[in-house]
Parts: sequence; C-alpha cells; structure tokens
Amino acid sequence: MIIVEQLTKRFGTQTAVDALSFQIPAGQIVGFLGPNGAGKSTTLKMLTGMIEPTSGSATICGFDLKSQLIEVKRHVGFVPESGAVFESLTGLEYLEMVASLYSIPQDAARKRIEQFIAFFDLSFETLTDKLLGAYSKGMKRKVVITSALLHNPPVVFFDEPLDGLDANAAVGFKALIQTLAREGKTIVYSSHILDVVERVCHRVIIIDKGKLLLDGKPDELVAAHNSGTLEKLFTQLTGGEELERRAEDFAKTFRA
Amino acid sequence: MNEPMAKPPLLASGMNEPTPEKALRRLFLTLFLRGRGARGLNRNAAPKSIKDKLLLTLLFYGLFGCLALTMMNQPVFALAVYLHAMTFMFLGMFVASSAGEILFNKEEADILLHRPITSKMMLWSKIRVLVEVSLWLAGAFNLAGIFAGLGSPDGGWRFPIAHAISTTLEALFCTGCVVLAYQLCLKWFGRERLEGLMTTAQVLVTVGAVMSGQILPRLIFRFGHVLTASETSWWIGLLPPAWFAGFDDAFGGSAAAASWLFAAIALLMTAFVLWAAFGKLAENYESGLQSLNETARKPRKRGRQWMDLFIHAPPLCWWMRNPVERASFRLTTAYLFRDRDVKLRIYPGIAPMLIVPFIFLFQGHGGMGGFGVAFSGTYMGLVPMLSLGILRYSQQWQASDIFRAAPMPGPGPLCHGARRAVLCILTLPMLLIFGLIVWAIHRNSSDLCLLLPGIVSLPVYALVPAVFGHSVPLSVPPEEAKSAGRGLSMLAVMFISMGLAALSYFSWMGGWFWEFFAGETVLAVIIYFVMRAMLNSMRWKSAE
Repeated sequence: MIIVEQLTKRFGTQTAVDALSFQIPAGQIVGFLGPNGAGKSTTLKMLTGMIEPTSGSATICGFDLKSQLIEVKRHVGFVPESGAVFESLTGLEYLEMVASLYSIPQDAARKRIEQFIAFFDLSFETLTDKLLGAYSKGMKRKVVITSALLHNPPVVFFDEPLDGLDANAAVGFKALIQTLAREGKTIVYSSHILDVVERVCHRVIIIDKGKLLLDGKPDELVAAHNSGTLEKLFTQLTGGEELERRAEDFAKTFRA
Repeated sequence: MNEPMAKPPLLASGMNEPTPEKALRRLFLTLFLRGRGARGLNRNAAPKSIKDKLLLTLLFYGLFGCLALTMMNQPVFALAVYLHAMTFMFLGMFVASSAGEILFNKEEADILLHRPITSKMMLWSKIRVLVEVSLWLAGAFNLAGIFAGLGSPDGGWRFPIAHAISTTLEALFCTGCVVLAYQLCLKWFGRERLEGLMTTAQVLVTVGAVMSGQILPRLIFRFGHVLTASETSWWIGLLPPAWFAGFDDAFGGSAAAASWLFAAIALLMTAFVLWAAFGKLAENYESGLQSLNETARKPRKRGRQWMDLFIHAPPLCWWMRNPVERASFRLTTAYLFRDRDVKLRIYPGIAPMLIVPFIFLFQGHGGMGGFGVAFSGTYMGLVPMLSLGILRYSQQWQASDIFRAAPMPGPGPLCHGARRAVLCILTLPMLLIFGLIVWAIHRNSSDLCLLLPGIVSLPVYALVPAVFGHSVPLSVPPEEAKSAGRGLSMLAVMFISMGLAALSYFSWMGGWFWEFFAGETVLAVIIYFVMRAMLNSMRWKSAE
C-alpha cells in the first residue's frame, strides 16, 4: 500500500529526511515516532504531496508520488498537526467544501457528515450555526479528522490526532482507527503519546535526525532491547536516557 | 501491492458531481468577502449571505463614484482621467492589500495542499475571484461616471460603452499588476525570500496605486480644468490611468491622435501584464506555495547582535532603565522586522497614509508651502498611533498570557517599551526622510522649524493607543481587528494634524511661531505626564 524508497528532503544545507525507506501493507496501523525535529511531519507532508521530496521515491496505492500526484492525493487522508481550518466558514460549509474538492455529490457528502458528527457527538446546529473560529480546539480537531476521512481514503496519515480531544473522544478515535484498519485501510499514526501508540499500533517506525532507527512490532522491539516499555525504548534510542540527570542539573541551578 | 487501486467507493457514485474548481472558487470568494479569520463576524451565529456584504461594499463604491457627476461639464479625457485614476487607486489598494493573503496563505497549505487539486487550479481560482471582485468594484465606482460622460461637451452615446470596456481592461490590468509583482518577487529573489519580499511588494504596489491615483486628478486642476492628451503633455502617458482615459477619448470622445495612441498602449499593456502574470510566470506559484509550507528556515545570524547593541548602548539604555520596557522594546522590534503577519499589516497600512503629506509638500505653492511642511510634521503622529494599534494583533496572541502571568500589576511597562520601539524604529526614520525632503524641496533650513510642533506632539500620540485602546503588544487575535475603528482614529488624527498645522503655519506667517511653539510644548508635556500616569496606574483587564 505504501512503498517508500530512499526518500530524502533537504532545506538548503539542512537534511530533514535522510534516505528513508519502508513499506506498509494494507490494514496495518503504523506508529511513526521520533523526537522533535526528527523529520516525522516532513515525511508525512512529502507522502501527502504537500512538499516535494529532494530525492527518492514513494508509491501509495500503486500510484507514484511524483508522476501521479493527484491520484495519490485522491487516495490519502491527512490530519495535519496544526489542525488548521478556515475559521470564517461554519463547520458544515467547511466539510461540504472539502467534499466538493473530492467531487463527492452533495447528498452523499451530507450523509457521511451526519455519520461523523454522530460519532463525534457534535450537534448539527453547532455545525451549521457557528463559525469554526468559535469552536474549541477539540471540536476543530473533530472537524479536521472528519474532513480527512470524508472521501473514504484507503490510506490515512494522522499527525498528533489526539491533540485537543477530550478523553471520551480520544477513546472513540482509537476505536475508530482500529475499525478502519480492520476494514483494510492503512493508518500512519504519528504521536508523542507512546503508551497509546503501544496499545493501538501493529508496528512502529522510529526515526531520528531524518534517519530510520527501528522498524518492527512494538512488543518484539521492546523485548529485543529489553527495555520493558516502548517509552523506555524510545528514550534509549533517541538520547533521552540522560533526562533524569539533566533534570537534576536544572534543579541545581536554582539551588545555587 | 503495486497495482493502482480503483477510485475510493464514494467517488464512483453520482452523475452531477461537484467539481473542485467550482468548490475552490466558491471557497476563495467566501474567504475574500468574509475574511479568513472570522474578522468582524459574529462567530456564534450563522453568517449572513456573502451577497449582503458584497452589495453593501458595492453601494459604498457606487456612492463614492457619484462624485464624478460634479465633472459633467469636463471634456471626456479629463473626466476619464479622473475616473480611471480613482479606480486605479481604489482597486490597487484593495487588491494589493488582499492579494498577498489570498495568493500565499500559510495556513492554507495544511488545509488544501494534500487534497486532489493542482496549484495551478488554486492559482486560477484565486485570480478569477480577484478579477471578479475587482470588476464589480470598478463597475460600481464608475456607474455614475458613465452617465457623467453622456453630458460631457465631446461625449455622447459611445462613451458608456467605451468606458465600460476600458474599466474592465483597467480592472484586469490592476489585478494583473499586483499578481505580477508577487510572481516577479518569486522569480527574481527565489522562494526562500518570498516571505520578506511580500511586504515590500505590497507596499510598493499600494504606494504606486495611490501615487498615480492622486497625481492625475491634481493635474486636471493644474491644467486649468482642461486636461488633454496632447504633445505638450506627453508625460501624462507615463501614468497608466491616462492610457485607459485615452481609450475612452478615442472611442467615446474627441478621438484625438494621442488618445488613439494611449488606447493602443492600454490594450497592449493589459495583454502583456495578463500574459506575464497569469501565463508565463504561473509556474513559479507552486514553488512559492510550497516554500510557505516548509518549516525549516535559514538560521538568523546578525539580527540579535545589532538589536542587543542597540538596546544596551546610550541613549537607549538611559531611556529604558526598566528591564520589562527593554524586553518589550526588543519583542516589538523583532516583530516589526521578522513577523510576516505583523509586517503585512503594518507597512502596507501605513505607507499609503504617508502619501498625503507628500502630496501637500509637492503641491505647496503660492506661499502655502509652509502649511505642507507643518502638516508633514503633525501628520507624523499617525505613524505611532496606527502602528501601535495594529501591533496589538498577532497570530501568536496566546503567547501574551506570559505578560499576565508575570508579576506586573498592569501593562504599563510593556506599552512603554512598544511605543518606544515604534518611535525609534518607524517614526524617527520617517521624520528624517520628511526633513530631508522638505529641505530638498524648499532649500531653506528655517522651514524645518515648522516640523517642530509635530515632533513635540509625537510622544502624546504614541501614548493614545495604550491609554485609550489598551494596546498591549501582540495580545489580541487578528480576527478581532476592527478596521472601522482604525479609520475613525485616522480621521481624528488627520483633523487634529490639519488644525495644528494651520495654527503653526499662521503663527509662522504672523511672526508669533516661537510663542505658539512654547505654549504647545508646555501643553504637550502636561498631557504627556497625565497620560503616562494613567498608563502606569492601569491594571490588567480580566482575560475572558
């Protein structure tokens, strides 16, 4: 479903993603992890056609990222980290606009929107009567998630999707992506909440400084590195094991 | 695994599928008319139809265009010069102020770039909306002028047709010029420098539109109300509105030879600008959009150093002993130089306003030159007032919570730092430029004294936004910007400036200038200290 080969992105002299290669089959939920600035968002933006790779190639659902970009975009859904929406539109106007971009007929789009708002426990009045600028962060996030799934894409990329969602919505969302995966969709899930990733994802890919560090099933990786939890494994790999010592140094500054 | 998949199921159904092009056009038109950030809208109620807002705007333009009826007895060329010059100015300002945000919106990338649309599709939808709105506005403004042409001595039934065509051409030319300015910035300076150059491009286009819109109507009166396209005034042909006026005169007026030449230039230039902006350079657009979406930026090297030196060196270190004021000064300076959002609002907002005293300066003759100089000085108060008003708004307004969290009883020190930054970074250089221009025009350094009443009042003007507008820097979301309020304060400043300039000028002519200046200084000092005390005693308002 997703094939990435030697994907690289450079901004001037800075290499954000360095020859990244992996494959993800249909129906798999993959946790895409890395510390801040590791190149996760840049990779996701390249795979969704938002920025052009410097070199390397990628194929999504059999479509080449460079030569068949529009087809790739038609087959992916993306929830960006920013959760940006056009705030001067109502929720319904926004979702109908997104549906039109995928050429979804209005009736079908409306039915799909109704299903999503029922799932997210939003009222239809909120969607029609309020501008997105008046929505809470969590409500905006629900609209953005809906807009990513509205066209029923076979591949979905989530970049920090739980940011702003309340506990119930987060539980519901986790159930949703597991259901979507069972129906054959490929889910790439980038998050810093590692215990959620450990519970939800079939596989994790850990990158740092744009390079692939580890790729495998969470429990197998944890066992192989004898780290106990994914969180500990992550800190071992990405230089986070010194954090306790650094916290002690930090506290010492105040004592002095 | 490599076999291309069929369309996702939902896309396969339905005969009357909505097209992405239509959806984009509708989206950009809505955003253009409503604003991107729910600005000025009731966010908790369903928005009214965009038609209402558009009709209201068209009505305003139509009413303003009725001024053309006062020129009914003018020859077609003079009337058309007035109409096209004003259209060029209004459209230029309108399109220039909107185009940057419409063409290169940073947030838009996250919302749209991963959808199945091409950047060319986006560019064309945006251009179509810009052109459509420009045509409506130009049409509304010129409606009365079309009838005025019927009553012109050399006008007739052909004038309305000719003017309708030339106005359409002018709207296309104007929109094309603005888009071309952005495209050229991309082509010549590269996508990495686009963000910084967008402000410059917007300022230049706005100033150009205002200048050419202001110069031509004045020429009508300079030439004894009879402006003709003749060999003696060939240089008029350098100003774009004259080309379109030539079109009107050629097809619906005197049909002078020079008018035919201007008409030909109008057609050729419009065609060239459209070809260059929407065809030839369109391929740069995609790279420009992508660059706004790239998070990595070149590291800054020198900015911090000069700013630190500036703040810690005399006289600034003597002027700002309070560390909070210094921090606020540095914060404001950084935003004035670096933040795209702030720069795009402040500089294009101020630049056209500053044309007004220049016009007074250049047209000052017959003993009225002194008023122009005095007005230039007093009008400077607009710079700190407008800038500090605009500096309240920032995309990062939530970061200003740190001000409230800090152990400060009120926003006083923050406002002092911000107003000092605006006075040093924006007002002082402008004042020096005005001083040089005054000196260059009048060649008389004693005329520079007429700037003094304005300079003395600057600290008072700079306190007004903080004391009466609670202008804590960068603390309000841009969605809450109310341009109507800003317009009122600008009008007030303009009237006060004119009054003060008139007093300065008459005192200068009457030989009691220095007495007047001493009195004004005492009054300004008193008002300054009262307002300063008010600001220092101000407490934080409840954040709701």
